[in-house]
Amino acid sequence: MSDLTPDSGRPGVIHDLGYRHFDGVREGTPAIARNLFVTGLRHAYGLGRSGKSKVMPFLLLAMSLLPATIVVGVVVLTGLGELPVSYADYTNQTQLLVSLFAASQAPVLFSRDLRHRSIVLYLARPLAAPVFALVRWLSLTLAILLFTAIPTVVLFAGAMLSGLDKSDQTTSVLKAIALQVLLAMMVAGVSGLISSVSLRRGFAVVGSVMALIVLTGIVTVMQNIAYYEGDNESVSVGVGLLSPWSLYNGLANAWDAGVDTPVPVNGAWVPAYAIVAVLLAAACLLGLVARFRKVGSR
Amino acid sequence: MGHPPVISTAGLTKHYGTVHALTDLTVDVGEGVTGLVGANGAGKSTLIKILLGLLEPTGGHARVLGHDIEQESQEIRRLVGYMPEHDCLPPDVSASDFVVHMARMSGLGASAARERAADVLRHVGLDEERYRPMGGYSTGMKQRAKLAQALVHDPRLVFLDEPTNGLDPAARTDMLRLVQRIGSDFGIAVLVTSHLLGELEQVSDHVIVLDGGHLLRSSATGEFLQRTGSLLVEVVGTEVERDRLGEALAQRGLTCRPRGAMVAIDPPPPELAEGGAVHDLIRDVAADLGLGLMRLQPDRRHLEDVFLEGGARV
Repeated sequence: MSDLTPDSGRPGVIHDLGYRHFDGVREGTPAIARNLFVTGLRHAYGLGRSGKSKVMPFLLLAMSLLPATIVVGVVVLTGLGELPVSYADYTNQTQLLVSLFAASQAPVLFSRDLRHRSIVLYLARPLAAPVFALVRWLSLTLAILLFTAIPTVVLFAGAMLSGLDKSDQTTSVLKAIALQVLLAMMVAGVSGLISSVSLRRGFAVVGSVMALIVLTGIVTVMQNIAYYEGDNESVSVGVGLLSPWSLYNGLANAWDAGVDTPVPVNGAWVPAYAIVAVLLAAACLLGLVARFRKVGSR
Repeated sequence: MGHPPVISTAGLTKHYGTVHALTDLTVDVGEGVTGLVGANGAGKSTLIKILLGLLEPTGGHARVLGHDIEQESQEIRRLVGYMPEHDCLPPDVSASDFVVHMARMSGLGASAARERAADVLRHVGLDEERYRPMGGYSTGMKQRAKLAQALVHDPRLVFLDEPTNGLDPAARTDMLRLVQRIGSDFGIAVLVTSHLLGELEQVSDHVIVLDGGHLLRSSATGEFLQRTGSLLVEVVGTEVERDRLGEALAQRGLTCRPRGAMVAIDPPPPELAEGGAVHDLIRDVAADLGLGLMRLQPDRRHLEDVFLEGGARV
């Protein structure tokens, strides 16, 4: 078997080229941030991760899409004069699914790197801790926005197919999307901050569920009690400042986007709701920046 | 050497409240492999984190590859690689995917990242297992994956924090050989920390010794191990013979002290040091006493001596 002995002159032999330096182009910080953003967005939906991790986000998305497709079917077939549910209210009605999506996917973006300490490897690279936190938050915000906007777009497509008034529908769909952006910023902030502090996935999910679902339930109950039992309506509106969902509903109500609240939000309450919503998102983002900055220095 | 130093620090200080992690450190690091030695808590990891811009120093300045750590830390992080001491790998990702991702986070394009990751994983010796999730890796494989992510963007300098931690002797030797190759064959400057002096003696060109946040010594490894001019002599027999030889040599004007079974002779006076006269003298004295000479060798220093000297000084 002499022809099997190694022979340097023979073609097809793999040579060890030794270490080769990289002299190609290196991307700047904006490109790296964009890359991290896209990766984070994909990971939020389980893309580029194990098959198992795609189940939860897509199951929830399918569940929140199902009613929309049924509504579209009914409207197109029966030729109703308007959608049975407004765009903004549809998001409100599916709030449990949206909150569950945020609670289950925020740990993917905010707990993993901290729990496994791979955050140190990121922070030893060009992106600084505040930029890293901001980009992660943007990924989750867009992931949540897509989650709420996709059914909205399906509803809008159905409305267009059944020949409803185009300008009316466009106005209210744009209002709904704008409100959803604000909602996504708040929900991403709250669930992200909770996940970055409680590193065990289970605790993070439970924490976010408490903050987004249980708290909203309590706020809604208190709003109703204050409205039916008390005589002071402003208590009912005031309590609405306490949760992202009641802020969303209150603003949608004030903006005439088709969401009913126990007591209409108007007057000075409108800027109060808007300011609190923006402050909540900003405070969560600052919290995230502080958290990552602290972890990076350890 | 004419090259600017890879790292230079001036009066670098880091205090955590009352804990002084680093005190007034002024040191230069050049190309090749530089060992950073010190016991746990001597300030090695703190120094690396300050140089990476992850920690702010309490005082002093430092430059890495010509960039100031406070103004241009982002530029520094573009050019250096870092292998942390602790575990830092997500268990549910394969080494291959992870190293590609880390390359992209350092600014390499998609195809360049894949190519470099495959190259570097081959160099560190991760073969088929690179496609398996890292959660199932042995410590040795994890250390290799950690090293791969530090090298994937072809840095000009790598910080390796305790790369041999937790490795068995064979894997330790492999890792040290790899560290040496990074410095020589790859042409990447290396700052490698360890609390084991013997390891760094083998691989580094230069050694910096830290003790309790203070610089104990910084010099070429050769200087640490240079001959001290002292001699070690051993004769056949027990301590009685050893002492007889020592006393006889002392009478001839040499400063002797017992060390184990041997007699350690301090550097001889100049007239005896010339042309090996001291060797003849020792031979003659042993012959006169009827002692069998077993060993006559120059005494080399060990890195440990630096600590002993440092300890004596404090």
